[in-house]
Amino acid sequence: MARIEAMRVALDAEYAAALTDADWRDLSQDPEWAQMVAEQPELISGVLATHGHKLPGADDGAGTGGGELLAATTYKVIGSDIARMQGMGIVTGRAEYTEHMTMPGMLFARTLRSSYPHAKILNVDTSKAEKIPGVHLILHRGNLPAAYKDVKLGAADPTRFLFSEEVFEVGAPIAVVAAETEHIADDAVRQIDVKYQPLPASLDMIAGMKSSTPKQFTTKYDGTIVSEDPPFIRGDPENAHADTTVHVVAAKSTEQHVALELTNSLTWWDSDRLNMTYTSQWAHGVRNSLADALKLPQNKVHVIQPGYVGSGYGYRSGIDLQEVHAAILSQMTGRPIKWNYTRYEDFVTRTHRPQFQDDMTLGVNKDGTIVSGHFIVVANVGAQRAGAADGSWFNMQELYKIPNLKLEAIDVMTNSYKSGPYRCVSHPNGTLALETTMERAAYAIGMDPVEFRLKNLNEVGDPDTKKPFSNPGIRDCITQAAQAIGWKQNWHAPKTKQVRPGVYHGIGLAAHACSHGAGNDNAASGQVIVNPDGTVQCISAANDIGDGQRTTMMMIAAEALGVPLTAMSITPYVDTDLTTDTSGTFGSQQTNTGGRGMHEAALDARKQILDLGAAKFTADAKKQGQTVTLTAADVDLQDGVVFLKSDPSKKHPLKDVVGKPLVGVARYRPDNRWTRVAWAAHAVEVEVDTVTGSIQITKYVAAHDVGKAINPFAARQQIEGGVVMAAGAVLTEQLLIDSATGLPLNPNLLDYKPLSIKDAPLAQAILVEHPKDYGVFGVHGLGEPPMSPGAPAISNAVYNAIGVWITEMPITRDKVLAGLKG
Amino acid sequence: MSMRGFELYDATTVQEAVDLLKKNAKRPTKVVGGGSDLVGGVMKDWVQGKGMPIPEVLIDITTIKDLAGISAASDSITIGATTTLSDIVDHKDVKQRIPLLSDAAASIASPLIRNFGTVGGNLNQRPRCWFFRGEDFNCYKKGGDFCFSVTGDNRYHAIIGGELCYIVHPSDTATALLALNASAKIVGAGGEKTVAFDKYFTGPRVDVLRENVLKPDEFLTQVVIPNPAAGSKMAWTKLKDRQVYDFALVSVAAIFTLDGTKWKDGRIVLGGVSPVPYRAEVVENALKGQDVKGAIKSAAAQIRTVARPMSMNAYKVDLAQGLIERTVLAALGG
Repeated sequence: MARIEAMRVALDAEYAAALTDADWRDLSQDPEWAQMVAEQPELISGVLATHGHKLPGADDGAGTGGGELLAATTYKVIGSDIARMQGMGIVTGRAEYTEHMTMPGMLFARTLRSSYPHAKILNVDTSKAEKIPGVHLILHRGNLPAAYKDVKLGAADPTRFLFSEEVFEVGAPIAVVAAETEHIADDAVRQIDVKYQPLPASLDMIAGMKSSTPKQFTTKYDGTIVSEDPPFIRGDPENAHADTTVHVVAAKSTEQHVALELTNSLTWWDSDRLNMTYTSQWAHGVRNSLADALKLPQNKVHVIQPGYVGSGYGYRSGIDLQEVHAAILSQMTGRPIKWNYTRYEDFVTRTHRPQFQDDMTLGVNKDGTIVSGHFIVVANVGAQRAGAADGSWFNMQELYKIPNLKLEAIDVMTNSYKSGPYRCVSHPNGTLALETTMERAAYAIGMDPVEFRLKNLNEVGDPDTKKPFSNPGIRDCITQAAQAIGWKQNWHAPKTKQVRPGVYHGIGLAAHACSHGAGNDNAASGQVIVNPDGTVQCISAANDIGDGQRTTMMMIAAEALGVPLTAMSITPYVDTDLTTDTSGTFGSQQTNTGGRGMHEAALDARKQILDLGAAKFTADAKKQGQTVTLTAADVDLQDGVVFLKSDPSKKHPLKDVVGKPLVGVARYRPDNRWTRVAWAAHAVEVEVDTVTGSIQITKYVAAHDVGKAINPFAARQQIEGGVVMAAGAVLTEQLLIDSATGLPLNPNLLDYKPLSIKDAPLAQAILVEHPKDYGVFGVHGLGEPPMSPGAPAISNAVYNAIGVWITEMPITRDKVLAGLKG
Repeated sequence: MSMRGFELYDATTVQEAVDLLKKNAKRPTKVVGGGSDLVGGVMKDWVQGKGMPIPEVLIDITTIKDLAGISAASDSITIGATTTLSDIVDHKDVKQRIPLLSDAAASIASPLIRNFGTVGGNLNQRPRCWFFRGEDFNCYKKGGDFCFSVTGDNRYHAIIGGELCYIVHPSDTATALLALNASAKIVGAGGEKTVAFDKYFTGPRVDVLRENVLKPDEFLTQVVIPNPAAGSKMAWTKLKDRQVYDFALVSVAAIFTLDGTKWKDGRIVLGGVSPVPYRAEVVENALKGQDVKGAIKSAAAQIRTVARPMSMNAYKVDLAQGLIERTVLAALGG
């Protein structure tokens, strides 16, 4: 299998340098690469600077298509609050989720997983389990068909084979069982005897960086470090002198998404074609990854995303080993395989927003100008080769004018939870680190933290590449958030406002810049079919994961085409047999990938309709004995009516113009002239109880520059939801392991403690609209940004309340009480 | 996850349940109420070990008519073991005479669990220790040979009275009932008996495999709560990390009588701090005969003299002290 290891391209300069042009072409088709383009552009920016020209279609210039409707000042469809089309299905329970789907004769599967964080599998004895009535097949290293022995996911070292001989994590699959019922499969898993040879495990990120930590694979770095970035240098950070220097160590723990619907699939073969219905954020990526793993052509794999998915937040962007197991089990048993992950498996075996530690040194002058920054980021990428640390650099580079800057990044592998996107991988950490440091610097020089930020904002463009920002709304975000929280009236010196005995009021704010939401270079395709009766069908592979993307797709197509929303339809589901890839619903990008596809396809259909309209009005005139030759430029289409611009009383409903069904197709090359940034600022008021250490959020304001809100209702909900999740990560959530055994401590909803509805803050969402030149109708995506500013905003508010800096997330009561004791 | 198959019997009388227990004595058999812990927790999560086999037989006692319900006599209130927590929360006489218990019941889990969970199940649920609940930790309480909390992450573990095993008792009604000087009616092969809650809960020194006096062939049928002395002051506090579906980090049940402004007699019981609901006699003694408002601060600090925090849970001593003070003051009326 001549597959390129996408993650290694990002992390290993020598590996990247050795790739051929054909390798780069293959890489551009790789689902993991596409995820990095959307989700972790920082991770690949270095390699792109050197080798990016080898990628097909590489272009730094203006794109094609788009833009022509941007100048419109009034919109008919977008900008209105529209209830999502799947809403009724979701709230009535009639929606068909993968979890509900059954097939005659299907078997249930279950996985036996490693209970050691690092071990060799010496022997797997399935004899007892096989005797249990109802067990059909147990698959493991010993009987895996030879064709699949080299199949792995991700980059090598540590390697994740279908059944690895050396396992690097608790939860690594050792055997899978297909049985008549889940009960039987569960019982059988516990009757399999495994002989392990335990190996030394690296369980602590900081210890993992030491040279004394035993290596687990060949590496030029100390311990279990997988990557160290060459330092980023701007100006002369070594020799820059500032009046005051502040030092902050910020950190955050590992979190999991806690999606409502557990990962699950239904898999079956139809002669030589593999079919899978799957809880996914990207049906086409799943298809391509399955085809790759099973060595099948892409058109022999058929994936359906049912349109009702109990959310994703990033960890459903690709496949895991279990989905490949499902395909093999189904093939070998000749039966459909129903596979429901357990909550433990969703918690432990999927990806996580990783643990970070940031060492931040910021030099500022008394007048409030920033002189220099030296920021070192360490990330725990878990039991895999991955990168996360340098993703935290983005806002450190873009948000403020920092003339002298040194950035370092280290990614450490541990035999623990694997990193990945959870409403972003790294930006929440970068914002936590930068914005708690900025706050501390403002207090250090005695300046209002909001004024300090406004004074240092970078509103031009990337200081190093010189690529400009497009219409940045960061200043409005900060000032509107500050105004809504009543910053001027409510901000006070630390620990000076007691509201009840032992309870103190505090207020904090944090700004945010991240690279998500533009779509970047990912696929942006789609088709728009106009039926003879004038109705319109959108054909899009934009996966809806509960965010309302399918509704957004229709709104964009309706606006671009010039028909009312009532004339539009779109399936809730995505079927890879019937759609073209428009990349995944991740990286906050779908409104600008799928949405771009809809926009361009609708414009293409519109052009065809205007041509037909021109011909029809020409023929109408001819019938009346007039000789005119009209072109598309003389005709308009609005609200589903085709009319003559010169005489709008001359009009036809769309159905009288279309005749035969027509299809509009998207052709699009992205506009790469911009540094594309999502901007935001959150402000929060808290009450901190110095007896119990409890933190109560009493007011929360979240301002986001969305470019242009396509569906403001959905945009506000994105913000509200993101703030709930952010607050959970600040107040209670952290996925723990036992430091001795490496076993998970709290992989369940009771002990992990995501916030309840009684605890969750309801954010006041403020939509700041600064339309972007690169966005569909000026839009910039919004999925991930609301997750980021919460941690520093709350941390800053806690400082204002009780005068104690707590920059290690989550801010649990033991930290508050310890801080108060000094 | 799904559990192993089991036999389920719907007992219709107490005697039938006793007979079923006797008949299945050789197999792992459990009496079940609402099942939110035994079935939805222990069995679903395969919490098992040498000393804790997964039940093969469940005897449902919620199908016994007489076991559910609350009856208020002139001198006491009797609550059947299968009475739901919601019914306790809503009961007029309970609210009037012993609001401490209504408040404690209302602080449990969620409305869904309270509608289904019974007082018997709440009192006899197994602890929430994450080592005990984790399938791969073979701890003392499951018949294993180690306590992982001693050197592991013990932020939620016992600060008082731990030895061998450092669980904290998970039941809020237990804490409240101990404060209310209530007693349990127990039935079994040997007949019926009454045990005061003072003696009902047992620590790891007695038997690490269980948390109460119930023998395998016995079950709880009723809870009897005497009327508090006239003029009793009482209050309930439960501190949790989130307001729904969470156990007590520290809870305090306080009930006392006054002689003027002075503490006459009473009980202060803590939940979440010890393997059994913990009666803070050291605090009670410090208050005896003292002006409550004036003495509570130093009396509450007495809890530090009995606390033996572990490596990560010293903050719970602060919480216990602070919440004792707040709860007693709340009982006084603010």
